[in-house]
Amino acid sequence: MKDESWLKAADPHFSRRAWFWPLATVFSLGSIFISLAIGAVDISISDVVSVLLAKVGFGEASVQADAVVWGIRVPRVLLGFLVGATLGLVGAVLQGLLRNELADPHLLGIGPGASIGAALGAIAGGIRGAIAGGFVAGIATSFVLRGLVRRSTIDPTRIVLLGVALGAMLSAFVGFVVFGADRSVVPPIEFWLLGSLSGATWLALGTASVVLAVAIGGLLASARNLDLLSLGEIEARHLGVDTNLVTTVVLIGCGAAVGVTVGLSGVVVFVGLLVPFLMRPIVGSKHRYLLFASMIGGGVFVVLADLLARTLLSPIEIPVGLVTAVIGGPVFLWLLLRKDSQDA
Amino acid sequence: MPDPILIAEGVTYRVGDITLVEHVDLVARPGEVIAILGPNGAGKTTLLRLLAGDLLPDAGSITVNKVDVCSAVPRELAKVRSMMRQGGIRDIPFTALAVVKMGRHPHRNDENASRDSERAAIRSAMGRTDTLHLAGRTFATLSGGEQTRVVMARVFAQAAPLVLLDEPTTALDVAHQERVLREMRQLAAEGACVIAVLHDLNAAAFYADRIVLMNESIVEDEGSPGEVLRAGLLSDVYGQTMTVAEHPTRGCPLVLITDTVR
Repeated sequence: MKDESWLKAADPHFSRRAWFWPLATVFSLGSIFISLAIGAVDISISDVVSVLLAKVGFGEASVQADAVVWGIRVPRVLLGFLVGATLGLVGAVLQGLLRNELADPHLLGIGPGASIGAALGAIAGGIRGAIAGGFVAGIATSFVLRGLVRRSTIDPTRIVLLGVALGAMLSAFVGFVVFGADRSVVPPIEFWLLGSLSGATWLALGTASVVLAVAIGGLLASARNLDLLSLGEIEARHLGVDTNLVTTVVLIGCGAAVGVTVGLSGVVVFVGLLVPFLMRPIVGSKHRYLLFASMIGGGVFVVLADLLARTLLSPIEIPVGLVTAVIGGPVFLWLLLRKDSQDA
Repeated sequence: MPDPILIAEGVTYRVGDITLVEHVDLVARPGEVIAILGPNGAGKTTLLRLLAGDLLPDAGSITVNKVDVCSAVPRELAKVRSMMRQGGIRDIPFTALAVVKMGRHPHRNDENASRDSERAAIRSAMGRTDTLHLAGRTFATLSGGEQTRVVMARVFAQAAPLVLLDEPTTALDVAHQERVLREMRQLAAEGACVIAVLHDLNAAAFYADRIVLMNESIVEDEGSPGEVLRAGLLSDVYGQTMTVAEHPTRGCPLVLITDTVR
């Protein structure tokens, strides 16, 4: 139909998305599979395959391969993907909500805020306590952020600066909690500042995925409203968006999702900033596509970063956030400088 | 006469000690084009924003299609009024088509909406504003005038019975100004009510049924172009001498600037 071709021609990202989704699937599965095969213990690819096949009822795998692949690597890799996907999604959502591509949950202070709750939660109840504490503190920090955003809608760079200040302050509080507490129950300070997936277990994965599924669902459902909000808050209201409600719901969702990831893996920086930035030129700015793409991109990014983190200096494991920061830091600087030159 | 679509009574808006809009009454009916005129700072835009529900009045009431603007939920309001702000939209990353499509948001769950009817609405809105050829362009890369027309298309696509326009012709060349003004008339002919803040007195003289002339936060005069566009009144309100003749072809008043020092 004539109308159809006109509408397609009017979307410059239409053809790019056509090859992006299959490629994204290949990358996701590829990164996960490679991560399952590489590690401190040598396991051949055929052993990985036989472990996975044995789980669905085909053939048998050696006990040792099963213990390493299924007991350690699968939960860790899945958790990495889940954490990365959540952070990528939250980054894209926050950038849409605040109409600012410099927004990132950890840079804005949500991650550091959640860390305080997660550290206290860890004292009270181990990994589940950490997840619950992160969840609550993440939402609380979101509300603090909302108060700050309200007062500075005019200048988006200011929002980021406020967030950075908030984050630095809250990170310091995490330090007080960590150093004041029993070292055997609270993860060390580098966990909270740089993140790590070394605590991954099936228990952690199971607990977190329930909460994350709800939060992720809610955030994905806001895609259309985020599109409308990019016209500006007043325009969005003219078109029937309850902007106050959307802002509140989205911030709760972001706070909850980030809080849970912090309880699981500490603060893995720059994922939320970097991934949407890379995805936008490929799939376009419509949130319906951008949010999904950012989830996949974030998942792949963290899985591969964690692979580097545990193999680069093997047998020593470095924090995964160190890897993401090495890549993300320069990009953030470049973005900030580019923004300066645009504003000037 | 059809029932009013908009009833504003005693609308007053203050910021601190300053009154921006004072006790304005306005009744508007379907099929009407109303132009709000007045010098800078007269309160025109503030009045329009009050009518749109962007600002809450300190006193008075505003209803659109019997919906109380101050307490309505955004969804409800978006079905009965559309609004084009002056310089509202900035550099957004979407295509012109995507922006116009957003105008259909309030009708997303309408019972009789179909894919084809939605597309027809979008196409017609873009045709009327001469923006079909811009459909695939990124909004941020368009010129000021093109952006204005795309936003106008979005407003048309919204298909609300009350259309509020803040200086819709400001960034446009003469031909596109006339086109937008004609389309404004056409919307009224189709049963909408259009209220536009204009600076061009002669555009108001020809295209408006009624003129609301504001000065220093109050409505100075209201009536047909022939009634309101009087040389003495305009010269007083704007502080610039003017004379009013008859337009040679349009059969409406023609306002001319003169140089008499007052």
